[in-house]
Amino acid sequence: MSDEFFDRSEFVQYFRDETEELLHAIEADLLRLEQFVDTGSADPEIVNSLFRALHTIKGSAGMLQFTGVAHVAHKLENVFDLLRKDRMPLTESGVNLLFEGRDVLTALVHAAVGGGAEPGGVDEYVARLDAAAGIYDSTAQAIEGPRASDDDDEALVPVDEAEVDAFEAEVARMLADAQRAQSAVDAFLAPGAPSAQPAASATVAPAPPRAAGNGAAKLAKNATIRVDIDRLDLLLNLVGELVINRTRISDIAATLGRELGNEDAATKALATLAKDLSESSALLARTTNEIQESIMKVRMVPIGQVFDRFPRTVRDLAKARGKEIQLEIAGADTDLDKTIVDEVGDPLMHLIRNCVDHGIEPPDVREARGKPRHGTIKLNAYHEGNQIIIEVSDDGGGIDLARVRDKAIRMGVIADADRLSDRETMELIFTPGFSTADNVSDVSGRGVGMDVVKKNILHLKGVFDVDSVPGAGTTFTMKLPLTLAIIQALLVRVAKELYAIPLDAVIESQRIAASDVRTVHGGEVITLRGQVVPLVRIAEFFRLDAPRDPDKVMIVIVGVQGRQVGLVVDSFQGEQEIVIKPLSDVIGRIAGISGATILGNGSISLIIDVHSLIAAAGANRSARVEFSGV
Amino acid sequence: MSETVQVVSFKLGAEEYGVDIDQVQEINRMVAVTHVPRAPQFMEGVINLRGQLIPIIDLRTRFGMPRAEHTKNTRIVVTEIGTKRVGMVVDSVSEVLRVPAAQIEDAPEMLTGVDTEYIHGVGKVEDRLIILLDLARIISTSERRELESSEVESAA
Repeated sequence: MSDEFFDRSEFVQYFRDETEELLHAIEADLLRLEQFVDTGSADPEIVNSLFRALHTIKGSAGMLQFTGVAHVAHKLENVFDLLRKDRMPLTESGVNLLFEGRDVLTALVHAAVGGGAEPGGVDEYVARLDAAAGIYDSTAQAIEGPRASDDDDEALVPVDEAEVDAFEAEVARMLADAQRAQSAVDAFLAPGAPSAQPAASATVAPAPPRAAGNGAAKLAKNATIRVDIDRLDLLLNLVGELVINRTRISDIAATLGRELGNEDAATKALATLAKDLSESSALLARTTNEIQESIMKVRMVPIGQVFDRFPRTVRDLAKARGKEIQLEIAGADTDLDKTIVDEVGDPLMHLIRNCVDHGIEPPDVREARGKPRHGTIKLNAYHEGNQIIIEVSDDGGGIDLARVRDKAIRMGVIADADRLSDRETMELIFTPGFSTADNVSDVSGRGVGMDVVKKNILHLKGVFDVDSVPGAGTTFTMKLPLTLAIIQALLVRVAKELYAIPLDAVIESQRIAASDVRTVHGGEVITLRGQVVPLVRIAEFFRLDAPRDPDKVMIVIVGVQGRQVGLVVDSFQGEQEIVIKPLSDVIGRIAGISGATILGNGSISLIIDVHSLIAAAGANRSARVEFSGV
Repeated sequence: MSETVQVVSFKLGAEEYGVDIDQVQEINRMVAVTHVPRAPQFMEGVINLRGQLIPIIDLRTRFGMPRAEHTKNTRIVVTEIGTKRVGMVVDSVSEVLRVPAAQIEDAPEMLTGVDTEYIHGVGKVEDRLIILLDLARIISTSERRELESSEVESAA
């Protein structure tokens, strides 16, 4: 064994996670503290909270010998000590210096954790801080105190303990159900007297131990533990298996019930058992659903984690641009899957920067237009069905469609003669490399933007939309699924195989006469309520050997981002909840397929990637424009 | 102390092949394979192995041999290479053999059908010749090439 007493890398990870949270908290506190500038009295709670956060960082950094971090944390801690003892007034320049200190500290932490070189300018900053605070500090001495950290758990997602309790209770219930199902099956398979196992065992109601869990939730509202996300993923996988087997058991029960339809005495006992089995499987189904939901909830984190960093961004950017902007946040406690939370941060940051830079006008311009000098950016999140909607809106100038059009023509994206609807013009901002900004700033306007945002959101199986009213503002809306693991799907049959189409993309299914299919520029289309919809024949797209039906065409209309395509299939096979599994990377990426799922009978169904099929119908945009021009 | 290698031997046509037993997870009878459209030719599809999706390679097609009808002897050899699990369809599985390391020679230049790229060596057991396969190569390098070429083809 080595002579190391503890695994340092593990501690470094704790330090990183803990410090990151504290740095977020510090930023939020500083923003609140800023409201008290020049009032002569700062809220002592805020100052104390800042003091404690820095003290904790100092302690942890000291333990890991991150001397740079500990040094700066110590200096900042000193300043807050002066503030809380009312020995130093709170000024605007002072707060700016503290914001800067928080950034210096962040850079130092990143360098320390990543093993990189210490960022430049630290000494110069410390000197300025000393100069500002030194005059008030008569007792320049170290502040000692107990470490505020008690964080020794495996790191990553904070989990509500009450939820874990509820989850455990449900696992217990579910096991009881499984046992009941098992005994019913055992009895069924046992030779001799199958009627020995009466229905009574299946009708004993499971004691619901949930109330205790809920009570505990009220008592200890903020009790959380940290759980490695890999472990949650494993749990989720297992639940996926349960979901599959649940469907399978109900299939078996249904078949059994059907097979035992005829009424002679010998099968009567079996019929009773079949009924037991189906009751048991119904219970199993309910419990499995609840477990699945609980695990989903455990994986859920509030979107506020992402929102937290934006107030600072808006403050700094607005100052740099000479604008007055207020950020209003609503729905920060809206939950969504951890994996999605991790992915939406960058797109949101981009949108917010865009609002500050291009959306909100300078104060004088706003005043001249009869608006308040203060611009407002609103960030709002809420649930709608099984989706989460995140809106970023501003009350700025809106998108100048004429300018977008000019720019698109200059870029060669559209031709001078092209007639586009307002909506189509607006969507040009999603063209790669598109920017209407005349001068490139360090914020946005480099043309890497909206297309990337849109791509990221599509990647999360979300929808991204923009709406704008000239002179009144712009609203960006993203709709994201709450989770990526389990979805509702429409099963369809194509050339003997079953395929699953994610239900959120399905608009409707139609059976139409083959003679209603028309050809426009070599592509097949149908007219649906006056709208021309291009068709993609799945069998042909996948190069499957399937003859066309000469009489009728079965069509699933799918739509993403307002673009619709009709997928031609052989038949519809109903809706079902499916667990998404990736195709093996040995197979690689297959155009038109996003994954696979295992159905109740154990067979595999491939999941259709609606986005790529709509893209495959690619030429449809120009076809549509020309068609409507006829 | 003479070293031996344990291999699972199986047949494709008249030839006998072997893979290191450490890389073999299990051997199954042929089951329904779900076809994956637009995948490379040799990719037979995917199967459900106790809740896991396993890609299936038709080894004959992989080696450029003609496809064969599946019989009651047809087997899927499920292998595990690193973190990747792949099933391979073979005509029949023979037995587990101990091949003395001293009896393994480099692949000769000319071998029936199979590209020497996938061959680890040729083992001699009594009067039988066992072609020892390099599984990692079978599922990685050249497969990537085929994937690329199929993409080129589909883009055309």
